[in-house]
Amino acid sequence: MVATTDTVARNEWVPCGWLGQIAIGTNLDTMIFGQPIRVARIAQDDYRVVELSDAGTEGRSLPVQTRYNCIFTTLGEPTRALPEISEFDEPDRRIVGCGSVGVSTCPYRLIENFLDLAHLCFIHKDILGDPEKSEVLAYKTEHRKDADEIWAVDCSFYQPAASKASTSGQMTKYIYRVMSPFSVMLYKTVNSDPSRNDAICVFIQPIGETQCLAYMPMALVDDVSTDGDIIEFQQSIFLQDRVILENQRPALLPLDPTYELPTRADASSIAYRRWLKAMNIQFGILEKQAA
Amino acid sequence: MGIEHNQWRGIGLDRQVQPASSNPVIVNGEMLAMWRGENGPVRVWEDRCPHRGMRLSFGFVRGDSLRCIYHGWAYRTDGQCVEIPAHPDLTPPKTICAASYPAETRYGIVWTNLERAAPSPLPDLGPEDGWEPVRSLYVNGSAAQVEAAIEAFDFGAPSMVRLKHANAIALGIGVELELLIALQPVADNRIGLHVVARGASTPETRASLARRLQRLRTEIEMAQEKK
Repeated sequence: MVATTDTVARNEWVPCGWLGQIAIGTNLDTMIFGQPIRVARIAQDDYRVVELSDAGTEGRSLPVQTRYNCIFTTLGEPTRALPEISEFDEPDRRIVGCGSVGVSTCPYRLIENFLDLAHLCFIHKDILGDPEKSEVLAYKTEHRKDADEIWAVDCSFYQPAASKASTSGQMTKYIYRVMSPFSVMLYKTVNSDPSRNDAICVFIQPIGETQCLAYMPMALVDDVSTDGDIIEFQQSIFLQDRVILENQRPALLPLDPTYELPTRADASSIAYRRWLKAMNIQFGILEKQAA
Repeated sequence: MGIEHNQWRGIGLDRQVQPASSNPVIVNGEMLAMWRGENGPVRVWEDRCPHRGMRLSFGFVRGDSLRCIYHGWAYRTDGQCVEIPAHPDLTPPKTICAASYPAETRYGIVWTNLERAAPSPLPDLGPEDGWEPVRSLYVNGSAAQVEAAIEAFDFGAPSMVRLKHANAIALGIGVELELLIALQPVADNRIGLHVVARGASTPETRASLARRLQRLRTEIEMAQEKK
């Protein structure tokens, strides 16, 4: 695999491991954007990331940040900082990491799947949706120019069992937030306290154009479930999506709106694709746009 | 795409495509969905939902509509999308239409042609009645190797090639048995064989032929390994 030359992609922060994955004094060899890298854990909270040559020798050092249960790095010079997600700082929150899951598709199909309300009642039937209540009500999308993020607000969907803590069906309210081409999150109604939102993130490590690792840190209001229960719930949902994600054709994302035809429920996907096109990102995109 | 593109290829045995099912098929690297409603003939479509690219061979059938598994969008037998569950009151625009390929069922075999606009007629391979399915099998080998192996194969009685078409071979076996083998190029070195029999064929002779065809596959693949 060849490292991407796409500076738009190279200038983003992406995860390359989760906290606790690497024992102190050991390394994890992995890859971002086709570039082999080594993540070394020097001490408890001290990580170093370097590029590796094809022969496996260590090269240039890369910037490192640890946050949201993940280790982040970048190949370029990011203009966009890591997002602020204040829920992770609230003292009574459950912060659960959920590890990472490998998926063979481009990063953007994962983001779109996470943004998608209409699939919930088919792919997550009896849990996150009911095929008899498949309607997606109108919601609003916004390009927030100050932070350069895409938001979808006023989303709601009927859910038979919205989370591990649910005991009955409910109209779940969602807010979606795309913080970068490779990261997305949602805020959804907390079962026990409608004034608060669970925050569920997906940070994507793009290994190659059609190979990803997805990290799902969550900040939840749930003092009942065990970490194991929460991880099991989240992973079972994710595995249902993975079957879809790995069978979309093509695996690269088409940005031409006549190649894949959206409907109103896809407003967030439409806004996301427009945003990607406007930033002229090339990595993982079907149409190689003129540079 | 030229001449090679406009060719009819057998892609399955009609009786093996279950009612209300959708199945993946590959022809020359093109991914297709071969599906049948609760009634009616087999349809062959591009294996890609026009909405978000999900493979339609993962879809499910309700009545005579194929529904995409991802969002439940329903497509009529002519490919037109007729229902979008996210918007129950919306009449889907005419532009939302699954791409269909020509499909014919003849000799107990399902045929398709990658030429969508102006396919040539399905070639005449002899009488249409009386064909019974034997089996489908997939072999690692080139089309030329598979054809040569079929012509040299010991079918258990003296055999003779009666007709050779670009993607099919008809053989006489003994005096009363006829065999038609349709060849489906999956990839450069992968061929599907769809075999039907006619004449003095009983379930027992067909079962015996089906077992013998496994030997044909072994012969072709052993010859490959020697190279």
